[in-house]
Amino acid sequence: MDLLAATDIIIPTKLLVWFGLACFFTALGCSQVGTFLVMRKMSLVGDAISHSVLPGIVLAFLVVGTLDSPWLLIGAGLSGVLATLLIELIHYRSRIKQDAAIGISFTSLFAIGVLLIGIYAKSVDLDPDCVIFGQVEYLQGYPRVEWWGVEFPRPLVSFAVVGVSATVVVAVLYRILLVSSFDPSLAASYGYFPAVVQLVLMGLTSFVVVSAFQAVGAILVIALLILPGATAYLCANRLPMILLLAGVHALLSSVGGVWLALSLGINTGAAVVLAGGGLFTLAWLFGPVDGVVLRVWLRRPGRDCS
Amino acid sequence: MSGILAAGSTGLSGLTLALIASLALGVASGLLGTFVVLRRESLFGDMLSHAVFPGVVAGFFLSGWLAREGWVENAKNPLVILFCALVAGVLGAVVVTVLGRTTRLKQDARLGIVLSVFFAGGIALFGFGQPAGVQGFLYGQTAAIDATDLRLMLGAAAIVGVAVLLFRRPLLVVSFDEGYAHNLGYPVTWLTLMFSVLLTMSVVVAMQAVGVVLVSAMLITPAATAHLMTDRFPRMMALSVLFTILASVGGTLLSGSVSDFAAGPVIALCATALFVAAYVFAPRYGLAARFWHDRGQRQRIQRENVLKDIYRVLEREGFPAEGATVGTFEAERRLDREGAERELKMLEDAGALIRRNGGERLVLSEEGWRQAARVVRNHRLWELYLTNEAAYQADHVHDDAEIVEHLLGEEAIQRLEAELGFPKTDPHGSPIPQPSAPPIHTTS
Amino acid sequence: MDVKDMTEGELPRAAAETDCCEPQQGRTAAGRSSHRVALETHDLTVTYRKRPVLYGIDVAIPEGNLIGIVGPNGAGKSTLIKAVMGVVRSTGGWVKVFGKPVKESLKRIGYVPQRESIDWEFPVTVMDVALMGTYGKLGPFRWVGEEQRRRAREALERVGMLPYAKRQIGNLSGGQQQRVFLARALAQDSDLYLMDEPFAGVDAATESAIVELLKDLRSQGKTVIVVHHDLQSAREYFDMLLLLNMRLVAFGPTAEVFTTELLQKTYGGRLTILSEMAEKAAREGTGKLHPKNEP
Repeated sequence: MDLLAATDIIIPTKLLVWFGLACFFTALGCSQVGTFLVMRKMSLVGDAISHSVLPGIVLAFLVVGTLDSPWLLIGAGLSGVLATLLIELIHYRSRIKQDAAIGISFTSLFAIGVLLIGIYAKSVDLDPDCVIFGQVEYLQGYPRVEWWGVEFPRPLVSFAVVGVSATVVVAVLYRILLVSSFDPSLAASYGYFPAVVQLVLMGLTSFVVVSAFQAVGAILVIALLILPGATAYLCANRLPMILLLAGVHALLSSVGGVWLALSLGINTGAAVVLAGGGLFTLAWLFGPVDGVVLRVWLRRPGRDCS
Repeated sequence: MSGILAAGSTGLSGLTLALIASLALGVASGLLGTFVVLRRESLFGDMLSHAVFPGVVAGFFLSGWLAREGWVENAKNPLVILFCALVAGVLGAVVVTVLGRTTRLKQDARLGIVLSVFFAGGIALFGFGQPAGVQGFLYGQTAAIDATDLRLMLGAAAIVGVAVLLFRRPLLVVSFDEGYAHNLGYPVTWLTLMFSVLLTMSVVVAMQAVGVVLVSAMLITPAATAHLMTDRFPRMMALSVLFTILASVGGTLLSGSVSDFAAGPVIALCATALFVAAYVFAPRYGLAARFWHDRGQRQRIQRENVLKDIYRVLEREGFPAEGATVGTFEAERRLDREGAERELKMLEDAGALIRRNGGERLVLSEEGWRQAARVVRNHRLWELYLTNEAAYQADHVHDDAEIVEHLLGEEAIQRLEAELGFPKTDPHGSPIPQPSAPPIHTTS
Repeated sequence: MDVKDMTEGELPRAAAETDCCEPQQGRTAAGRSSHRVALETHDLTVTYRKRPVLYGIDVAIPEGNLIGIVGPNGAGKSTLIKAVMGVVRSTGGWVKVFGKPVKESLKRIGYVPQRESIDWEFPVTVMDVALMGTYGKLGPFRWVGEEQRRRAREALERVGMLPYAKRQIGNLSGGQQQRVFLARALAQDSDLYLMDEPFAGVDAATESAIVELLKDLRSQGKTVIVVHHDLQSAREYFDMLLLLNMRLVAFGPTAEVFTTELLQKTYGGRLTILSEMAEKAAREGTGKLHPKNEP
């Protein structure tokens, strides 16, 4: 018997759990990796990677025919590496600055991806709208696995694997990431070479971006990467706590967002991001570290205008 | 999405409409892209393109409602849409600034947050009615542009074009050096605000052509291409406009023949293709140009080195009138006969060398003497300078001088000589030649 | 005294002959003689984006001294330290620390960077920064234990920052911030310290406290090399001075090196032609102004 279907009340609980878990695992991985992107002022690079992995994912999909495959990760990884190489190639050897190099690189790769989708969309079951809008809803169409009497769509497993392993990797590499983000010279002196750490971080980003793609669509991936960390940054003073709060943000925005989507009938990805934005606004107003309301209330001095 | 020949209500063919749209696109995003690239604000442009999306959706809803109420004719009123888009864009920029003033978050994070949350809002809003035509802003639609869209694009482009032309000098100063702009009494805040408004307008135009994500391709890539081609700002603007138009026209035509899918990605890739072409072939900054320059320079250096060695050989032998032997030259250059002959031919062709006695003897021509003496003089002066003034280690001096001697110009030489007090010999005791003096020949 | 005269083996004689430094023998840590060289470079050249910043630096710095690096702005002082650390890549020459390539001696070096390069809004507390000093010897994966916490606490105590342990680093004054980074260096328990402008923007009280600390380190037999911006105080604080302006102008005991002639050479722009030529070489694409020498 399917436990979840039996508990449907206002909205189908089954869907809430499935979509919620899918988004949560995705957001969890993104939140941990993304917090370091925020700390290193690399949000733009994160945005670029999230767009640049599209051609790799599409190519992999065209080859294996399903979204539920590790080949997508490999395709994404290669695409992400290609993007990084292109950026370096453009920026280092010519007078083009880094921000423009990033723009040129990710738009070209994204355009290739969209073009591939457009050309092959009819011959393969791939909806171009999925790219923009995400497709958590499509989870329903996948074969199920069963755990402890509850059914889950199979892709959920890969979401869980990606999310959890990304979190574990970040935890293990915490010290290296911390020191090289805070003080690259000290890190270099300890043997944590900045170039290597950067590459690893890019790889991790590409890794978590793949699930995020499927959950919220290409454009909103960046929200999953930086909203949790940014929100937590307004609430805490120490990095371990920030990482923890980012994970909490991932949970709340996923559950809240999915609930919103199911009750109001809006796109799941958008709802999750809006929920995340709502949490961010709350933190902006009431956050213990930087909260506006708190500052006005206690008449604490604000930061310098810059 | 219909094919390329969707007819508009004006009676113009779809192709003509697409071409006119390209023109509008070129003017709007080409002009402003120049500023964006020079100000290094590519991410800001990206943020605007995503932030205006909810405005566009709202504009569609509003316009549709106004049409139903009888206030306007068209359910897709370009003015209403543009207005709502502008409001959204400016709102986005304001939020970024406010976050900057009230939190410790850095600019990149602030832009990313506004970008994604606003866009999510747009998508959510879109879900409530899915007004027709919004898709055009998401994916771009040069192929299916109708008269209304065109009016919007042309209008926005016209405003942008006129404004940039009128205010190009203040805008340039503000972009390059805000402090100086204050100094000149420019109203910096207003100018920055105007820039944001103009940028939002070009973003709206570009969105219609290539869709939300690829706006950056239109804003940045052609301007970056222009940046590789010229050093002068007006030329950069003009080239940027040209490349945008080329990319847009090329992309539209190409995509019509490839598939029904929106032309956006093809246009973006055309822009990238132009960039790659410039990256390789641009006159001064391209890869090919720099390769040729380096090669030319390497050849010049090699020629001068050969001359210098001949001079040294001649000097060692006391400048005999009959010249040096090929054998000594081979030994000095550490080459075999074949290699030596190649180098000697190079000098002969350059008119610096005269071969006598059936090719066995080497004598420098007037020109050759002058060049050789110059190089040797540079080298020796430089060695002297390094030893005396820069406390060089003896074993390092020679290597550096080898390179620098080819780069010293007359002015630098005169300064060196003056600094060193017009010396006659170098650190090793060899005399410092005067190129203006005639060739020395001792009679044997 | 010129670099050409300062080859290995000659230095200790020179140092012992002058009054300015206390005789090192007998005052250093057990078993260590001052005839050893802490830091040695040969023909060290650094280019940044094809522009030479440092070149041909030959120097051998003896252990157990307090050394100041002085020179005009843009002379490459910070770059020298960064090149030694390997933070910045050198295009020519080599560096040895305690007789070994730098990579093998990393654990014995303590590096205190310039304050400007730090993001003060980073979410770390004073204690976190001090603890970072212990990471080098701890390695990236072992848990932080009582030993490390004790060392961090002691270091903070020594610089007077223990009461602030739980504060986020942004909420400190300039002098306090500098002291936190010194504490980190102390926690590293290194043999060679490289400090980049530790006195910049610091109040007078903190400055004297830091000088005392550095002298303390020196008397423990450690070698402390400091990039310094102020000539007058350089004369008072340091045993030996390194005059730098892209090239090594002079290195030796302070009294001998602090002469009008040498200072003029360093600050007086006699070397401008050199830097112009170097820039021109870079622009014209001949790139490296220096061939690479391996030891």
